[in-house]
Amino acid sequence: MTVTPKPTGGVGMNPVANALSLILLIAIVGATYILYYSASPLVFTALVAIIVGGVLVGFGVHFVPVGGAPAAMGQAPGIATGVAMLAAGAGLAGLFGGAYAVQSNLGFWTSIVAGGIGGALMMAITCLFVTLIYTYGMGIPSASGKVKVDPITGDSQVEYKSQGTEGHGLPFSSFVGGVTGGFLGGLGGTLIYYELLMVYEDRLPVLLSASSSAIVPVAVSLAGIFAIGLFLVNAVLAAYNITGTTEGFHDPKFARFPRAIVASLAASAVCGIVAILVAAL
Amino acid sequence: MTVKVEVKEGGTPHNTIMWTGLIASLVCLYLGAGLNAMFNAYSFSFFGGLAVVAALIWGSNAIKTLCSYGIGTGVPSTGYTTFGAGVVAFVIASRVSWYYAPIVLVIVAAILGGILGYLANDVIMMKIPVLVRSTVEFVMVGALMLMGFALMATGSYQILGIATTQKSLLGLGATNFAGSFIGISIIAVAFILGMIAVQHPFNATLGPSWQQDRMLMLAAECGFLSLIPVAIISIAFVSLPAVIVSLVVSVVGWLYTYSQFLCLSKRDAAAWLDAKPIREPEGH
Repeated sequence: MTVTPKPTGGVGMNPVANALSLILLIAIVGATYILYYSASPLVFTALVAIIVGGVLVGFGVHFVPVGGAPAAMGQAPGIATGVAMLAAGAGLAGLFGGAYAVQSNLGFWTSIVAGGIGGALMMAITCLFVTLIYTYGMGIPSASGKVKVDPITGDSQVEYKSQGTEGHGLPFSSFVGGVTGGFLGGLGGTLIYYELLMVYEDRLPVLLSASSSAIVPVAVSLAGIFAIGLFLVNAVLAAYNITGTTEGFHDPKFARFPRAIVASLAASAVCGIVAILVAAL
Repeated sequence: MTVKVEVKEGGTPHNTIMWTGLIASLVCLYLGAGLNAMFNAYSFSFFGGLAVVAALIWGSNAIKTLCSYGIGTGVPSTGYTTFGAGVVAFVIASRVSWYYAPIVLVIVAAILGGILGYLANDVIMMKIPVLVRSTVEFVMVGALMLMGFALMATGSYQILGIATTQKSLLGLGATNFAGSFIGISIIAVAFILGMIAVQHPFNATLGPSWQQDRMLMLAAECGFLSLIPVAIISIAFVSLPAVIVSLVVSVVGWLYTYSQFLCLSKRDAAAWLDAKPIREPEGH
């Protein structure tokens, strides 16, 4: 018989591991700067932008109110599914909006904000219908279990919370948090997509010895699938950080986000440089 | 603090499954690509599909190993890690020649998985003893499965094979990028097919009276089921005999594994068992 402790998502930070991750990040960014900046600044700026995008994704996931199975039974607040599911939904919806804007040549800022709005819209629709189902389908009011008053509206929560639960429904702050998280996730995902697309459109004609217009489908597809891949890696790391359920930015678990940012920095740098090297090597 | 308590008995140890899955997958990839190159044909592309099934069986047992600790984010999140990093390892490995590609793939996947596992275990502080090792295995499984899908669909796992299609029109050869495995985003279909297949077996069979052989049979069934659409997709890329071989292999494999899975499900169904304490066989 084996008895192993179950992970509880401990508090605090591990200084050695954080230092190692930051050294890895600096080593990758530094090596890219030395090897590529003089020849082609695009590769270096793309790597930095991909890291920023990955961090935005990892940070944004912390805003999303995730209830998991307890929420489906009305015993915890949030949307009744897992962190990774919600993040993937918001990120992919954002990526569709952003990729469409990139394809229409609307420029850098319009494209990434379009991606953010796509993600925010998806989360807003999800939160709206979740609230409708909770309120009119399951007959439960929205009440937070982590705070006494809603930090945005100032409404008292305690009276509406059933005994023996951690709250239920989708409080207003969680709704706002979900939309914010969707916006940040979509923004980050589209930033990764945009930068990878720029690198591939620049480098793939050399690699495949073809004209730059001919390789556009390959560049778009590769940038898209890598953006999804990097997005999922960062979302899962953030999901591990949350371990289960969260209510959004007013949840005590939100204070853990520095760990996820360090992890996202290193993970995006490692996966990002490999994705760039596919074309730049 | 909650604890994970389990009694281990019987079953195949995870190490055996891991080495078998890794070696079988690599051998199938080399057989497929090598025989295709030797006979200048596409007919051996179905070995890619067998590589997918071998990697998938290993992957589902690796997911069981990690998820028996209760990671709190749901079993599907492991499938996301598997393919999110796996797709990067697969495409970079496709850059080298066919006899190095699978080895490069395994090495790159191990490095990516090791770093991601370390970040999750020590920076995020998950503190799960098997997390680093499991993440290494996940990324390898994802990358091997994508390579197998690519080999089955296009007859090649190299960048020129998956980013281009050769069309001959009136005797003139023309290179087309838009209709290729990557260009038309078949890679995204393979990504989703594999991601669902790898996380489903444990997600569907977990709980009391979990049996390792039933989960692994379901994994093989999911693998062959995923191969059927890939075999149909391969109509666009490979010769007709190769498509027929692939389709027959995947349909026959699926029918066999599905009937076996049904038998095992009936064996484990509640009505067929005497009341006994719940045991969990080895597999972790």
